[in-house]
Formats: sequence, structure tokens, C-alpha cells
Amino acid sequence: MDLHLDADDLNMCVQCGLCLPHCPTFRVTGDEAMSPRGRIHLMREVQDNNAPLTTEVLESFETCVQCRGCEPACPSNVPYGHLMEQTRETLAEHGEITPRWQRLALAPLSNPSMLQAGSSALAVAQRLKLVPKRLGISAELPIRRKPLQASGNDVYLFTGCVMDAWQRDVHRAGMRVIEAAGFGVTPTNDLAPCCGALHAHAGLSDTTRGLAETMMAALESDRPILVDSAGCGAAMKDYGHLLGTSEAQAFSERVFDIGEWLALNMDDLPRVAPLDLVVAVQDPCHLRHVQKVHESTRTVLRPYVRELVELDDDGLCCGAGGAYSVLEPELAGQIRERKVEAINRQRPDAVASANPGCSMHLAAAGVPTIHPMELIDQALQQA
Amino acid sequence: MSLLDRFRDRVGSGSATSGDPLVDDLRAVLSPDRVKTDGAQRSLLGKDASVFDGGSAGPICYPISTNEVVDIMQVAQRHDRAVVPRGAGTGLAGGAIPLGAPIVVAVTKMRSIGEIDEANGVAWVEPGVINLDLTRHLTPLGYHFAPDPSSQQVCTIGGNVANNSGGPHCLAYGVTNSHVAAIEIVTPSGDVVMLGGLDPEPDGYDLRGIFIGSEGTLGIATKVAVRLTKNRPAVRTLLLSFASVRDAANTVSDVIAAGIVPAAMEVMDQRITEAVENYVGAGYPTNAAAVLLAEVDGPEEGIDIDADRIAEIGRANNATMVRVAADNTERALLWKGRKTAFGAVAQIAPDYYLHDTVVPRSALADVLDEIYAIADRHDLLIMNVFHAGDGNLHPLIVFDGRDEGVLERVHAAGGEIIEASLAAGGVLSGEHGIGVEKQKYMDRLFSDADLDHQNRLRRAFDPVCRANPGKILPMGHSCADIQQLRSVPTGVWG
Ligand SMILES: Cc1cc2nc3c(=O)[nH]c(=O)nc-3n(C[C@H](O)[C@H](O)[C@H](O)COP(=O)(O)OP(=O)(O)OC[C@H]3O[C@@H](n4cnc5c(N)ncnc54)[C@H](O)[C@@H]3O)c2cc1C
Ligand code: SF4
Ligand code: SF4
Repeated sequence: MDLHLDADDLNMCVQCGLCLPHCPTFRVTGDEAMSPRGRIHLMREVQDNNAPLTTEVLESFETCVQCRGCEPACPSNVPYGHLMEQTRETLAEHGEITPRWQRLALAPLSNPSMLQAGSSALAVAQRLKLVPKRLGISAELPIRRKPLQASGNDVYLFTGCVMDAWQRDVHRAGMRVIEAAGFGVTPTNDLAPCCGALHAHAGLSDTTRGLAETMMAALESDRPILVDSAGCGAAMKDYGHLLGTSEAQAFSERVFDIGEWLALNMDDLPRVAPLDLVVAVQDPCHLRHVQKVHESTRTVLRPYVRELVELDDDGLCCGAGGAYSVLEPELAGQIRERKVEAINRQRPDAVASANPGCSMHLAAAGVPTIHPMELIDQALQQA
Repeated sequence: MSLLDRFRDRVGSGSATSGDPLVDDLRAVLSPDRVKTDGAQRSLLGKDASVFDGGSAGPICYPISTNEVVDIMQVAQRHDRAVVPRGAGTGLAGGAIPLGAPIVVAVTKMRSIGEIDEANGVAWVEPGVINLDLTRHLTPLGYHFAPDPSSQQVCTIGGNVANNSGGPHCLAYGVTNSHVAAIEIVTPSGDVVMLGGLDPEPDGYDLRGIFIGSEGTLGIATKVAVRLTKNRPAVRTLLLSFASVRDAANTVSDVIAAGIVPAAMEVMDQRITEAVENYVGAGYPTNAAAVLLAEVDGPEEGIDIDADRIAEIGRANNATMVRVAADNTERALLWKGRKTAFGAVAQIAPDYYLHDTVVPRSALADVLDEIYAIADRHDLLIMNVFHAGDGNLHPLIVFDGRDEGVLERVHAAGGEIIEASLAAGGVLSGEHGIGVEKQKYMDRLFSDADLDHQNRLRRAFDPVCRANPGKILPMGHSCADIQQLRSVPTGVWG
């Protein structure tokens, strides 16, 4: 089957294998078919040699977390993320992956009121202990929410779909921190319902393109757009590639992770007594491997906590991967175990994670996760 | 695609083998999910990191214990099938490439680090443990595993043992053979045997030494007692650049001639340095014809004396720049560059063929000149990156395999490089092994009688040539011939 993969991109892989240990699914299975080199080989087999799409081949593609930990590990700069997104897009078009129930589950993300209704229902269900544990949703979801009010128009804060509904407190904390640095913030609220990251992961890139167009039209101007979810930020920074237009490129250049942007404006942020906490930094994959701005988390946090500690697992994925933890619960659980062990080796009081998916996935295993902005906000409030 | 077609596709090649008694027997001794038969997956394990195609894997097994490896061997015996061990598949000589659709035994699920026996200075590890994981595990205790192949972040201890692998720091510390005390193996007939031991001077024949470097042809290693090496108290890393590769090579032989034993001495030429710098951004000079990365270690006092002398010798050989890494971060970045050099070449062309010969240090400069000339004659792009300290050359031919006729030129040039190295008094392989790559050159180095004895040794371990057939010994010597007879007709396992 023609997967519509760029032959030159595919050919960049020289099979050296250096990416293998940086792949969470290879790490936990030891199975090369679940490694980046293996998946690239299978793409070649399918596209060039017409290998049949057996259950095993599809499983190899479907079990990829799309964490892109293999990209910085690859000295040949193989654009793995784009290869896998394209593979999934073609397979979804042919009905090989992403069945109807998954598409239906993704539909509300682009419609905030549906999502709010959905997650209010989820919150109630959670209180009633009706939410299956495998969903990995542990932090109590708020039932009623106060809307976010704009405080000025220096920057946008992208509030997204899942994030907004489930972790509005993080937005509030982020807004207060940016405001403390002297900037007025406009939350995007219903202007820009969803970044489309989860759709692109599932192979529904057309939906993502539509969402990108909507967002670009709604957020016209040259204001920076700050994002407090690493997965959303990575997706929005990729609009240039996804749409292939100069407008999209210009839009992507306005997108910053909130920590990345704050690191550039640290001088404006008041210095206060640090929180008396040892904090471990958990780098979300899409911050570290895709946006590559994970150092800024350290820059912004360091002055506000007693001690920052590093994990020793080279930024290996935690297994959350957007909807991955729901779709592949067994692998996601095994991957998380490795991460929890790495966290326990450092004995932190709290774990800072700049991505809601990671936070919830780790929290479900009892890890005390918190967004870096919430920590800074607490320090500022305390002063 | 019709629904029926899709169903057929989904069932796929897996169905062609279901009901195969070999597979059923393997599934009975392992769990079914640890025996893979899918066609595309078998084609994946038909390759390693080398350029060799043409491998074909039979069923792929993922054992998790020595007992399971014994069981696999017994099934192989009953069905008269060959067995090929596999680690991370980073071999560069095609050692793990399965010939004749054998059972592939991937040890990557056997990866626990067992007892650390400080009294005897060893750690017991399973063969699938990744080299760098082992060192990281030992670091807090003050030790490391000395062999550090450039592939150390991924290659396995089993693969290191089987290939007797080396690395940049083996110049002072010796290759894998010096760092393994004992090996538990499963022989091709299914016996569990311990080779070597923890005694400093074990009695009897050194069968451990015979197994190390045997490339999977004498059985499967299932447990390894690796020696613990104390961490280095202090380290200095120097980066020198030169206006010619010859100056760099001469510096290396002069350093050794001066009686200095650096921990490592690595040279990269300009093209490779450019590719590396583009990936790591370590501050390598991209305008120098060659760079030399030299490292000395030892007690803090005295270490700068050696570092200064190396810098001096470099300057005497026209070094255009000498820099000492300021801290651990800079050192780590420089080494990351050196260690990812082979992978980084795909920025230049999609395929590479990495050679591995050893020449006397004094002949380094001349052989390098000859290698560049060979590449010119065949109209090929060649780069050199090598363990200069022990004369281990790694000429790297980069090409695009899609170009008509290029592979013939690559192989022809490769042959001439090997000839040139042998003519200068060198040997066939520094560290990557013979595999399928260099069999045909073995009779250049060994007489018929030599090869015959090697074959008899092999047959003593493996009378029917069951383990990794078709490797090391050239055609015309019995194990290679037997493999030809034994291969399964294509179409069965293809
Ligand atoms: C980028 C790159 C850099 C490299 N740099 C170096 C270097 O600096 N120095 C160096 O020496 N090599 C180097 N290599 C080559 C390779 O990494 C080494 O040979 C390594 O030791 C192979 O380990 P592996 O686990 O990948 O083994 P594999 O490739 O899987 O197997 C290698 C051989 O070992 C056998 N084998 C594997 N496991 C077992 C076992 N348990 N029992 C018995 N036999 C077994 C296989 O049958 C095969 O013959 C490099 C390779 C790459 C891709
Ligand atoms: S590191 Fe890059 S080139 Fe090497 S096998 Fe992985 S994807 Fe391919
Ligand atoms: S994206 Fe992540 S899970 Fe997928 S192959 Fe790369 S490292 Fe593995």
C-alpha cells in the first residue's frame, strides 16, 4: 500500500539502531517491531514491498506513543514524527486504524460546550466512583467552573479543550504569573476551541487542518500565543508544516510554551522566597523532544523552589501520550512504571510537569504532579 | 480494498505458518506471544546495522531465562534447524543476519543486572543488558564497564562478548576480552556450561577466551560475569585540529612513541566532523582537515603533565588549534559527537558502508592516503573516523543505494581498502567481527591448516553447525558448506 511517505524522508534512516533505547515501547517490550527502527522498516515494507497489513504490522504502528523521543536520539535527523503521522493518516483513510468509536470520542474536543458537558458528567461520575480506573483520571474534576476573564491584550493564553475543561486552575495560575510579570492576558476561551493534536495523532489530520484554519482566523494579530500544555503547543508550532503556507508558518512562530516565553521575560517577574520543596522536573515529550524548550522549565522554576532535581532516564516518555493511556492501557502502564521508578530514585516532594496528559497519567499512579506555573503562582501568593 | 481482501491482509502471513510444527513446539516452550512469525517482522530481524541484505529469519523467539534458551535449542535439534542469537542488532559485519531461515533468538528481554560482587570485582548480568545501562547502574558504586563502543547506548553485553567489541577507551583498558571473567552459555546441543570463572588464574583451557569473539557460532551466552572497573579520579579531554589528516595521524603515533598511554585517541576527518557538528553543536572546528580527540586520565596530580605533552606533540605536528574541554558538559558533548558519527552521515547520503581494519600505527598516514586515493578511483565519497590510538581504521563510504551500479563500486573499493591494510601489515577486523562481511578475506590472513583448525574447534562446540551457520569461516570449510545444504527451500520461510 502506498502510505504516501516521502521516499527521501524514509531513506534517511540508516538502521544504526541508536534510537532503540530512547523508545519507551522498545524499552518495556525488548521487541524490535516496537522500536523506531522497526516501525520505519515496516513502513518501508508496506510502502515499497507491498507487505500485507497484518495484525502485527498494524499493532506495531498503533503502539507508537508518538512521543518522538527517537528524534533527538537520531543522528541522521530522521523526521520520525511526520512519517508516523502520515502513516496513520493513510491508514485511517483506508479504515485500517482509528475505528468509529474513537472518532466519535474525539469529536467533542473541537466543541467546547460538548466537552464541558461531557466532563461535568465525568466529574459527577467520578464523585460517584463510576469512572473506570483504566482511564487514568484521578485528580478530581471540578463540577462547576468560573469563566476566565481577560486582563489585557499583550498576549493570548490558549485555553484549549481538554485542558480548559479539566485543568482550568492551571490556566488561572499561569495567568496570574504572566500578570505578575506585568503583562495583560487574553484567554482564548471559545475563540479557538482545540489545537487538533489528538486528531493528528489518530490519523485524522484533515480535522486538524480545519481546526488550525479556525484558530488562525480567530487569533489574527501579532500577539504571542502562550500555551500551558506541551502537546497543544507542539501541535500549534507544527501548523506551518501541516498547512504548508507562509501564514501558517508565521502563526506557528507566534506560539510559545508558557515557560519558554516566561524564561525570556524573567527579569520582570518579582523575586520572592522560594517554596520549601524539592521538585523533580518531568519533561513532557512534546516539550523536550519536539519543542525542545524544556530547559526553560528549569530557568523559570529554579528561583521559586528550594531545590530542583533531575530524573536520570534521559527524558523517556511516561506513557501518557494524549489518548494513548486509554487506547493502550497495558503498555502505558508498563512505561509509567519505569517513570515512577525514576521519580522515586530522586525522592522529590512534588513533580513538575508542563503537560496535563502527563500530570493526570502520573497522578493516577500516586505521583504528586503539579504544573510549573502553579508552583510559581504559589510562591508569589505566599509572599 | 474489499472487506474480504482486508480480512485476508489482516490475517496475513501469520496464517501461512500457523500449524507449522516447529512454531507450535516453540510456542509450547515459550509463551505464544513470545514467538513471532509475521512476515514483515521477520524481514526486520533479517537485517542488522550493516549493509548486507539477503537475510531471512524463521520464527523469532524472545526467551526470558536460560531454561527457555535450552528449550529452544532442543526444539531446534528436533526439527534440525539452525539458531541465530541476536542482541540489539547493531552489528556492522552482518553477524546477526539469519541465513537459511533459522530460528532467531533475540535476547533483548533477558536484561536484568544481577549480583554486584565487589569482593570478586564482577557483576553478573543477563546478555540483553544494554552496555550503557550497565555502566550507569555501576556509576553510583564507583565503577563502570570499560568497553565503550560508540554504540554503547544501545548494544548489548551479549553482542559485545560475541564480537569482542572495543571502544574509544579500550586503548588503555583493553577490549571486551579483558573485562569478562566468566560466561554461562547454552551450547548448540542444549547443555548449560560455565566458561571461565572468578579465580584470577582459572585452571584448564581458557574456553571463555574462545567464546569471546565467536559471533554466536559456539552457542548463546545467557549470563556474563563482567569485570568492574574503578571510575577514573580525574580526566582531561583535548581537542586538536590539523590542516591535514597526515598531521593528525603522525601526532597519534608520536604520542604513543613518547610513552604516553592516553585513555583514548580518536581522529575524524573534515567531512565527518561537519556532519557531527551539525548534529551535536559541540564546537568542533568544521574548517580543519582533521580533528584529534585525546583523553588522559589518572590521579589529579600529574594528569596535566600528560595533557601538556600531548598538546606539545600536536603543535610540533602543526596543530592549528588545541583546546581542553572546560567541564564535564563540554566533554560529554564532544564524546556524543564522536559516538554518533556513523549515524550522522545520513545527512550526507542515505547509505553507508563502514569498514574496520587495523594497521600498524606507524603506517596510519600512508594507508589513509591510499584509502582516499582508492575512493577517488571509484568515484566514491569516503570519510575517515577512527580509533587512532590502536591503529583501528573505520573508513566510511557513503552512497545512495538507489544509484545504478553503486554497490559494485562500493564493494570493489572495500576490497581494495582491505588489501591495502593487509599489505601494510594490518589485520581484517579491529572490532566489528568477520560475520558475513569478511569471510572471503579470511584465507588472505590464514593458511588452509589454520582455517581447518578453527573449523575443528567450532565443530567441537557445534558438531552439526547449528549455531549461526554461514558466518566467520569462508566457503570451502565445512561449517560454511553444511550451512548451504541445510538452508530451507525458499517459499517455506522465504
Ligand atoms: C553507530 C554504531 C557504532 C558502533 N561502534 C562500535 C565501536 O566503537 N566498537 C565496536 O566494537 N563496535 C561498534 N559497533 C558495532 C556493534 O555495535 C558492536 O559489534 C556490538 O557489540 C553489537 O552488539 P549487539 O547487541 O547489537 O549485537 P548484534 O548485532 O545483535 O549481534 C552481533 C553478533 O553477536 C551475536 N550475539 C548477540 N547476542 C549473543 C548472545 N547472547 N550469545 C551469543 N552470541 C550473541 C550475534 O549472533 C551476532 O553474530 C557500532 C555499531 C554502530 C551501529
Ligand atoms: S537513530 Fe535514526 S537512522 Fe538510526 S535507526 Fe533510528 S531512526 Fe534510523
Ligand atoms: S515516537 Fe516514541 S514510541 Fe514512537 S517510535 Fe519514537 S520513541 Fe518509540
